[in-house]
Amino acid sequence: MSSHLRCENVTVSFGGVIACNQITLDVPEGKIVGLIGPNGAGKTTLFNVLSRFQDYEEGHVYVRGQPVDAKKAHEMITNGMARTFQNINLFSEQTTLQNILIGAHHRIGDPFSNMLWLPNSRRNERELVNNAVEIATMLNLDMELDTVVKNLPYGFQKRIELARALAAKPEIILLDEPVAGCNDEETAELKSTIQKINRDLGVTVLLVEHDMSMVMSVCDYLYVINFGANLAEGTPAEVKSNPDVIKAYLGEEDE
Amino acid sequence: MEIQSSKPNEASTLPWTEVSARKAREKRRNWAAMIWLFVVAALFPMMPGVEGWMASEATLIIMYIVAAQGVSILTGYTGLVTVGHGGFLAVGAYASALATKYFGTDLFTAIIVGAAAAAFVGCALGFVFLRLSGAFMAIGTLGFAFFIGTVVNNVPIFEGREGISLPANHVLGFEIGDIGFFYVSLLALAGTTLFIYALVHSAVGRAFMSLRDSEKAAEASGVNRIFYRTLAFTLSAAVTGVAGVLFAHYVNYVSSEVFGDIWYSVDFLVATVVGGSAVLLGPFVGGLFVAFLPTSIEFFVDQPGDLAFIIKGGALILVLMVAPAGAVEGVTRLFNRLFAGRRGGVQ
Repeated sequence: MSSHLRCENVTVSFGGVIACNQITLDVPEGKIVGLIGPNGAGKTTLFNVLSRFQDYEEGHVYVRGQPVDAKKAHEMITNGMARTFQNINLFSEQTTLQNILIGAHHRIGDPFSNMLWLPNSRRNERELVNNAVEIATMLNLDMELDTVVKNLPYGFQKRIELARALAAKPEIILLDEPVAGCNDEETAELKSTIQKINRDLGVTVLLVEHDMSMVMSVCDYLYVINFGANLAEGTPAEVKSNPDVIKAYLGEEDE
Repeated sequence: MEIQSSKPNEASTLPWTEVSARKAREKRRNWAAMIWLFVVAALFPMMPGVEGWMASEATLIIMYIVAAQGVSILTGYTGLVTVGHGGFLAVGAYASALATKYFGTDLFTAIIVGAAAAAFVGCALGFVFLRLSGAFMAIGTLGFAFFIGTVVNNVPIFEGREGISLPANHVLGFEIGDIGFFYVSLLALAGTTLFIYALVHSAVGRAFMSLRDSEKAAEASGVNRIFYRTLAFTLSAAVTGVAGVLFAHYVNYVSSEVFGDIWYSVDFLVATVVGGSAVLLGPFVGGLFVAFLPTSIEFFVDQPGDLAFIIKGGALILVLMVAPAGAVEGVTRLFNRLFAGRRGGVQ
């Protein structure tokens, strides 16, 4: 299986605190890969590195073997990468449809012809709207397309973020705690949605999550980091029985 | 300052086919209202009892509306508060004045020259202020207005307080008077209104609003922050530049005493915020309010200027407290609430 997203020896420090120390990670094409670790392990920092929101002192990031170290955050979408955020980061005063459409921003073509409503831009715009409605239907958001998102329940907002990322037609999607704060019902729905995205659309998924039962059941492969460094990796079953992981999560018994 | 979106309704839970049909109906109604507004405005000088000064007053109101429209692009849709658009007004005014004085340009050409000059300066300023936001942006733009005031006061070509007197206005070779100028202004307003409508209903307007609401999420979606911020500055400056051209040619005179005054900047911001900065009709209401206020209280007091300041400040505070998204949005919401029961019955 070829590598889709790879980072090598990434090091990030904030002042004296080393958030990521020589982290290496490899996400194979078409898989669902989980990134877990205790609070403060550097998961979100690593996510920001991979989506180029965070600069790093050492190491490299590759998408399909191409280095993306010099790319800016807004350029990552042209490499097929979309992401969501840990705390919901929606355009809260806008409608569901508008939120999803922003996700398709890199497909608008020339901004100037859009501004002037030239025929090809209008045609493209209609296509984007149709596509957004399709995605909304897939995620059960089609009844709320015209609702201002701040008025919607939490589970809906989580799905809108997912829909916005999907509107970009990504090849790989980075999900930062997709089910954090959701109830069991919402979690189950999001889980099946993530599997659907992976299976039906062929999108590679990398996710950070604290809900272990969800992670264990949905992921093909897991990376565990602790104190900003690689701790373990393997299939969910391997990771579950790894003594280092158990120690990091549960602590060690006093002698 | 809280700025809300242009989204007029909050009704929900409807399938997309119904929503899009309702949206199309709303759009047709809004267009019809807008066209009526312009038709009535176009007939205004011919109405019985309308005197020459009223047409001039209407022209002044149009200028304020155009200037406020420029501010709304930046402050309303992109979320960058500007207290310096008087500077762009001056750039537009002086560029067209110099073009008219030295090259004898036609009024239409002058409008294009003024808009282009303001756009150029706006683009440069957008680049300089790339990392500013919030209160820092407000202070930075205020500094820009002072800068322009100082430049036009001291650089010889702008002739400082002496000012530049302009010849009578020409359009396509014909000399035009006050009424003709009113129609040119109205045409310019129609142009800027159409332009802003197209802009905010396009993917570019969507990108502006996404930067306003969450820069991080916008960038994750592929919105190039540097490009769109600078574009917003450029377009906003160009529209206010058009107002500057109209100002200069309205009185056929530009001087640093008029255009070096930073109070214009404040007036435009007040007009935009009071009317509603992210609503198409907002600048119309705000511009009418700010421009017509001194004239309307002239009948009652001797010093309308001072009282106008107090009323403007009071209106600003009131609007921010009662309807932060502006008077237009506030009134719409009030109507929706009043008639909500009846509408609910129909559905």
